[in-house]
Amino acid sequence: MLLIEDLQKSYGQHEVLKGVALKVEKGEILGFVGGNGAGKTTTLNCITGLVEQDCGKVMINNVLKSQSLDYKRQFYFIPDTIHVFPNIAAYDWIHFVLSLYEKTDDAKLQSFIHVFGMEKSINKPMGTYSYGMLHKMALITAFTISPPILIMDEPLNGLDPLAVVAFKNCLKEYIENGGTVLFSTHLLDVAEKICRSICFLKDGKIVLHESVESLLVDGSLETIFMEKQANEG
Amino acid sequence: MSAFIALSKKEVQQMAREFKIFWLPIVFILLGLTQPIMMYYLPVILQSAGGIEGIIIDPTMAKPVGQEVLASTLNSQFDQLGIIILVVATMSIIQGEKANGMMGFILTRPVSISSYLNSKIIIHYILAVICIALGYAVSYGYSAYLFTTVPMTQALWAFAFYCVWLLFIITFVAMMSTFFYSPAFIALISIVVLLICRFIAGLHPLIDIVNPASNSLSAANILMTGNMEVGYGIHIIVTLLLVLIMFTTMHGFIAKKKF
Repeated sequence: MLLIEDLQKSYGQHEVLKGVALKVEKGEILGFVGGNGAGKTTTLNCITGLVEQDCGKVMINNVLKSQSLDYKRQFYFIPDTIHVFPNIAAYDWIHFVLSLYEKTDDAKLQSFIHVFGMEKSINKPMGTYSYGMLHKMALITAFTISPPILIMDEPLNGLDPLAVVAFKNCLKEYIENGGTVLFSTHLLDVAEKICRSICFLKDGKIVLHESVESLLVDGSLETIFMEKQANEG
Repeated sequence: MSAFIALSKKEVQQMAREFKIFWLPIVFILLGLTQPIMMYYLPVILQSAGGIEGIIIDPTMAKPVGQEVLASTLNSQFDQLGIIILVVATMSIIQGEKANGMMGFILTRPVSISSYLNSKIIIHYILAVICIALGYAVSYGYSAYLFTTVPMTQALWAFAFYCVWLLFIITFVAMMSTFFYSPAFIALISIVVLLICRFIAGLHPLIDIVNPASNSLSAANILMTGNMEVGYGIHIIVTLLLVLIMFTTMHGFIAKKKF
């Protein structure tokens, strides 16, 4: 379970997060939705430790963010931009990341490589990879590690239709095995199909957090999003 | 510990792919070769270059002994050109990963800042020690062949003291690489500070206590005299303290997310 209380963050005079509070229960797939500059990436960066919040509490499975190493073992973060060493083969890189999590299940890794159709390119240097291939590589790593919580910033960016299907299947299996997912996206139709609940962020505040099921009673996510943007503005 | 081992392996792989583990030892072997050969053939070189006019070469001048040659390898070759080469080879160890986002990636995994910094500093330090050792061994061999043999224990003690100075060099460059974004600026400030440290070594006993380059001077003195003074131990302790302070500063800087 991910718990965030009164998360605040400013860059100079600019207040980005104004007391974000959020609870993501085990087995939930939460879509983090908001306009550009709403504070989605800053929230994710605060959760993952890439940025230090000015105020507030972040906790995963009762482990506080300040308990650095134990906390970092609770999640796997896929950022929007995948950083790689261009001259290292993806397979070696994945093994390196797995070793940081003390995971050595090669059979599991091979199965995810197969699911995402990366058999032919997995031994190539990552510098030769397209944006979508880098995302596939990050997803393979994440599902192989299978941490308690997966945190992803725009995970579907650049993925081909086959990879999107593979992603959905893997996600389903991961949730069935007790995983929890938090991901930010601009694609409302995708959020509608994949997520179990949606969280709208606007100007550094959460303006709505409800299950997809109850939201869809009032119309599509697109309509609700447009209304929220207009009303709160 | 497993994170440290994984990061260290990655560091070695990265150095191999950048060919650093090949060219850096070769450069230091060449530097080690230069000093004994240059000292042996200097009169011949001057004569054949025709630049002997106005220079009086004392025919009774004693041929330098191996100790002098080896000491000048440390103090002339390694402490000048060697420092510049080491700085250039290590200036991006942290800055590079800071710039391409890799540092952020690694530090959001179950990796402590200490493991990250240790893997960087220790692996680069080991490479630097190997390079210096190779250059020093070649210089030792040529000094013995062209001049006189240096007692092995004397040579090893001198090398050990030099390695303390080397640890300061690598840690200092890593600290600059943590603080700044421009590789050129990192190189410039590192070279200037380290060369100043080296040039002021031996000027005043009080300055020498806090000057890590005194260890290089101690190494040369051990080679020349074969004696170890009490002050040398103090230099080592102060240098190790400085290394510890630099490590803590880097740790604090990264912990405050200034990257």
